[in-house]
Amino acid sequence: MSTLRRHEGYLIIDHRESPGVTPELVQQRGLDPNPVIVGKNQVYESATVTCSHCGAVVILSPTRQRPRHYCVKCDHYVCDKPECGLECNPWMKKLDESDLLIKS
Amino acid sequence: MAKWSFSNPTWTPTAVGDTATMTANGACGILGGSASQFIKTMEVEIGGQATGSSPMIFVVARDSTVAATSITLGTNGKNAPLSAFTAALAAAQVPFFSATTMPQRAATLHLLQLSFNAYGGLVRWLAATGEEITQYGTAVNVGEISLSCFTGGTMGAIATHLVYEPD
Repeated sequence: MSTLRRHEGYLIIDHRESPGVTPELVQQRGLDPNPVIVGKNQVYESATVTCSHCGAVVILSPTRQRPRHYCVKCDHYVCDKPECGLECNPWMKKLDESDLLIKS
Repeated sequence: MAKWSFSNPTWTPTAVGDTATMTANGACGILGGSASQFIKTMEVEIGGQATGSSPMIFVVARDSTVAATSITLGTNGKNAPLSAFTAALAAAQVPFFSATTMPQRAATLHLLQLSFNAYGGLVRWLAATGEEITQYGTAVNVGEISLSCFTGGTMGAIATHLVYEPD
């Protein structure tokens, strides 16, 4: 029986021999509300999933409490962006539509 | 089709904000070779080579302005198939470090954010099969992805490779 774990990629950020990054640096940019911050002498390994609706890669936080968004129509995780949780509009379908536009 | 490795043994990024023009040899990307080429990127690795603390914010993103004119591998850029039996495509994909018009990162289409320190640090991302970063054609926002450094931090030397598969 297949599980959603089959969709998981892998991320490693290895700072075992490095000063690492500080929360101040990453958070001051405001790019991500929950950025991955790997400090001095730390190594971070995590599963990732790719949002089926926008194609972005999501780093799965092991401390997350709330459920992840899941689309039953395309059987994939989707990210937290509001537009990705509204309806099933897969990224691959968008690419198909852009192909039709090119060929029309 | 066949997997290719787009790599550079040593380069130093130039930090750039969203929707600002990247600097040649300070960022890299992969542009489709034709209007109907489909490319999947399944691995990104960045290895630090800096000789002093260099925390950087790397972003893999789609580009709202794509590279144009005299697009080349630039300084030290390499692009090679993983299999010895790979033949070149009729419309070859276009990996680049340099172009007369360098791309601009889309503000809303960040795909992967990787903050790390190039002084002894290493980042590697691998996609599961079927979960790769995909791009199609050559149009803005869908036809090109880039690996570039967001503003802030301290730039330092790195080595990178992206493994991708054009169809």
